[in-house]
Amino acid sequence: MRPREASSEGDFALSPDHIDLLCAVLSDGNLLEGSADGMKCSRGLLPLVRSGRTAAQRCALLPSTSQLIVQQNEQQQVLRYFRCSPASAKRGPVPAQFVKEDEQKGTKSLATKEDLFEQVAKEYKTKDTFNKVIDVFTKRDIRRRGHVEFIYAALKKMSEFGVERDLSVYNKLLDVFPKEVFVPRNFIQRMFNHYPRQQECGVELLEQMENYGIMPNTETKVLLVQIFGEKSHPMRKYQRIMYWFPKFKYINPFPIPQPLPEDPVDLARLSLTRIANDLDARITIYQLPCTDFTESGEEIKLPHIVGIQSPSQMELLAKHNPKKPVFVEGPFPLWLRKTCVYYYVLRADPIPLEEKVEEPYDPERCFDYPLQLDLDLDRDLGDDESFDVDDLDEGPVFAMCMTSQGDQATLNQWISGLQQNNPILGKVPTLFHLDAGTQELQGAADTEPGYRHQAHPEAQREEPQPAEDPEAVVEEESRRSHGMKQ
Amino acid sequence: MSLPKISCVPASRLLSSIHDLRWLLRSVTPLSVPRRALVQSEYRRPGQPREDKPQWPMFKFDFSKGLEGIKKHFKLLRHEVSGRLVGPEGKPIIEHMLEQNRVIWEFRGPDSLQEWTLSSDREIGGQSEIYLKLGRNSDTCFLYGTLQNAPPRDGETRYSGYCTMRSKQPLASFDRKTHYDWSSFNTLHLRIRGDGRPWMINVATETYFAHQKYDIYSYFLYTRGGPYWQDVKIPFSKFFLTNRGRIQDDQHPLWLDKINTIGFTLGDKAEGPFQLEIDFIGVCKDYAHTEDFAYEVYKRNPEV
Repeated sequence: MRPREASSEGDFALSPDHIDLLCAVLSDGNLLEGSADGMKCSRGLLPLVRSGRTAAQRCALLPSTSQLIVQQNEQQQVLRYFRCSPASAKRGPVPAQFVKEDEQKGTKSLATKEDLFEQVAKEYKTKDTFNKVIDVFTKRDIRRRGHVEFIYAALKKMSEFGVERDLSVYNKLLDVFPKEVFVPRNFIQRMFNHYPRQQECGVELLEQMENYGIMPNTETKVLLVQIFGEKSHPMRKYQRIMYWFPKFKYINPFPIPQPLPEDPVDLARLSLTRIANDLDARITIYQLPCTDFTESGEEIKLPHIVGIQSPSQMELLAKHNPKKPVFVEGPFPLWLRKTCVYYYVLRADPIPLEEKVEEPYDPERCFDYPLQLDLDLDRDLGDDESFDVDDLDEGPVFAMCMTSQGDQATLNQWISGLQQNNPILGKVPTLFHLDAGTQELQGAADTEPGYRHQAHPEAQREEPQPAEDPEAVVEEESRRSHGMKQ
Repeated sequence: MSLPKISCVPASRLLSSIHDLRWLLRSVTPLSVPRRALVQSEYRRPGQPREDKPQWPMFKFDFSKGLEGIKKHFKLLRHEVSGRLVGPEGKPIIEHMLEQNRVIWEFRGPDSLQEWTLSSDREIGGQSEIYLKLGRNSDTCFLYGTLQNAPPRDGETRYSGYCTMRSKQPLASFDRKTHYDWSSFNTLHLRIRGDGRPWMINVATETYFAHQKYDIYSYFLYTRGGPYWQDVKIPFSKFFLTNRGRIQDDQHPLWLDKINTIGFTLGDKAEGPFQLEIDFIGVCKDYAHTEDFAYEVYKRNPEV
């Protein structure tokens, strides 16, 4: 081995097999890990490689080492690695970064710390390689020069590696800071924002954790105390996170499970139970996603159809006047954290006041308490608990469904499925409003003058209202199912 | 914690945790809301040159409009004076004392939409959009739009993607600022129909000192989604104090005697269209709610 000395360019003429050996050695991550022998070797190799690189550049034997590594990967040569097994060769081109950085230093181009991450090939971007890159950086220099930039670069690249929600990775990144250097030691240092850049960097790191909603743990606290001291800005930020996060963790009255179900049918079940607002509602899966073969041999992918209906909705549908149509409307968006799913609704127009029949409560429905009390109590202003607004009546909703393909055929299938439990659907005309824009529940066509004055475009009873936004496509079809499914 | 984080951070000012909060400033909406209803400073995007436009050319001297304005203001003044003869705030005292529910905002006609100001990312260079219209067939308002997370490329903004609707400051006769007095109530009651997205309710009160200018009391509004209306009741003791979007260390309960505006913000980092329908916004007195304040008031981060 060449002794450690300032290497001059062009000193060392490399032959191809030397370079092979060096690159093979460097491509193996094992060498750069904790083993003492490995460390010595790598340190010994470094100046060699530096000089070797520049020499190689001049000789133009190999354009770049990283390319060589890629070639190796492509050709899948099994090389005899120095002091370690060939099995670990897969663990990426991480060490190639050493070489590339030095090359860039030689060519005087701007080397950013992000290059360390960018050089990891796309398929190797995992938590392991991310940790490796951090290790490469920490072991390179005992003084950790440039650690602030490195941490900023790492924070930016975390999402590419898929580790932005991993607390251990944040702790490891926090570990990059040298310990006890930034802790103020006297009152002057405490007064004057000791090491502001590093404190800012620490705060940034915690802020990214906060943005992703990750709660830090005691290891984070211990690290922060060791690095910045107890009254520092990052420590204060940690204290704030630890105060507010537990308070806000469970305030969502409609919590969404953390890993959302990937199966579309499960997702549909989850969202339908969520929007049904009724614990008695029952989910029915009318069709599971499957592929069907038509007569001509083509594959058709049948979408899933999941519907929900509660007993009170069934009662309402049974009481519905068969002469009035029911509408199938959709798709309406429902957001579950970051995914948007769409649901369709079967509803009818609200019953106008004249036709409203007040049915008396059936006293045998509930024996625990009376459903109707005929007490003549005077309620004055202090007891009035209702708001002075008109009651909004948009018409009953009879059922909801979710399906991946929102075309009329699929929804017809849903209605036919519903018909099995609600025979009235066979006699009622069904109109389809399938808009492709922002949706709101379309309410009653306003023809009754005494009922709910609104400024409306002229609309007739049977026809649906014209859509206001021009992009919406309104499909409507009257469907009378006589003789179907009976 | 999903408070809208819009930090455009010059490095030297990060630690003093002053972050610009663009959504406090008003903007032109597609409903032709008057641009300068109240005199406020406009946000100037970094890199834009200062515009030295004198204010007076913007006034339009229109005689008929002037007459209408005079009529309107004197009418308001007359109502105020005669209202005081009836009782506090124009209502008989028995009603004022025993009132348990009050509807503050309803959406009954296109005029009700003029009370609200919309604002979004677009002011700082983002691409989110927000629109407000009257809900079809119902007396509700329909707030919809698209949220885009891409931060504007001005070199200092790091996060973006927010949309907001804020009510206007109530005005008495001759455009004098007045406040809502909700001191006899303790709960905010909303009837909404969202699409599952979490919103944030912001209540701004009248402040005195300059550093309190962007003080806002916020709380989360979680929507369930679905075709059914959702009644949301949030006691005022749950609102926490924030300034420019950053939650403060020194918390105190919201004072209800001088409320200026209420607003709804969406900034949940999920790109895509959103919608929210609001039927009414009211306040009520919940006798069962006895909590004064939900968060600790004592000093939790003592000085060095």
